[in-house]
Amino acid sequence: MLKTLAATPMFGLTLSVLAFCFGRWVQKKTKFVLCNPLLIAVACIITFLSVTGIPYSDFAKGGDIINMMLGPVTAVLALNVYNQRRVLGEYFLPVLIGCLVGSAVSLFGVLALCKLMQADQMMTMSMMPKSCTSAIAIAIAESHGGDAGIASAGVLAAGLTGAVFSPLFVKLFKIKDPVAQGLGIGACSHALGTTKAMELGQIQGAMSSIAICVCGIISSILALFV
Amino acid sequence: MNVVGQIALIFGVCLAGEGIAAVLPVKFPASVIAMILLAGLLLTRVVKPRHIEGVSKVMLANMALAFVPACTSVMQRFVYIKPYLVPFLLICVATTPVVFLVTAWTVQLVLKLQRRKGAGRDA
Repeated sequence: MLKTLAATPMFGLTLSVLAFCFGRWVQKKTKFVLCNPLLIAVACIITFLSVTGIPYSDFAKGGDIINMMLGPVTAVLALNVYNQRRVLGEYFLPVLIGCLVGSAVSLFGVLALCKLMQADQMMTMSMMPKSCTSAIAIAIAESHGGDAGIASAGVLAAGLTGAVFSPLFVKLFKIKDPVAQGLGIGACSHALGTTKAMELGQIQGAMSSIAICVCGIISSILALFV
Repeated sequence: MNVVGQIALIFGVCLAGEGIAAVLPVKFPASVIAMILLAGLLLTRVVKPRHIEGVSKVMLANMALAFVPACTSVMQRFVYIKPYLVPFLLICVATTPVVFLVTAWTVQLVLKLQRRKGAGRDA
């Protein structure tokens, strides 16, 4: 019975949505940053598939349908840019130069470190966009021969680091300017960091969400030169 | 605009992004092109926020759901990742504060230069 059900696309769809709902519920109850809904959902699905012995390919039938939404969710990030157009206009140069330098350091830093530990092409290309938001990171990784799964794991690791430690970074490095705080957080830990940036203040939150889109675009361009 | 119209508009922009990506001579992600395209349409007021807002807000609020299957696919690569696991995590975690610091410093520097220039002009 389970095998028959698992072979339908509805299985992957239902499991993904249910696991994500559960992840959200856990986060709401615990309010703990590391109890990230995505992390919990993925851990639950992997455990469930391993325990029941249902092959990943069965899950993917439904999963692929959700994967098709990766494009549209990236596109609607444009609404964030539009909503922040006033702040973006006011701080255009700092945003552009800050995101350019930040993205370059992230991209080429990862490349250099991967070379140092002799990682192969697929690993390197998957890790390279780890400071971008998932949707853009997956797109960059895949268009350069990387793997979507490894790319999103890297994004998650970088994002959680930022979400947990960014208030500490701000204090430790003595960054006083709210614009610099927000852009720094957005550039290093995308959407996950932005939630923390919003707690620091309105300007920090706005700057961080602008950095997500601007760094995404700049990283896509920089990746062309790799 | 009604929900179906909004979805059609968003999908249409994504399709245009795929089209542009296909003719570009370089490997540029179609979804990023769609984002730039949509931002351009919004800023030039060809598309009004109300044309996409309803659906976009739902999508943005639940964005992480779209990453669940992609992230789950990492289980297929367990054997491949295993020898890389520690350096992999180390790179992701260690570069994060570096990127923060470099970005924040750059922004502060640019702001300082701009203010100095602005002050010079006033004087």
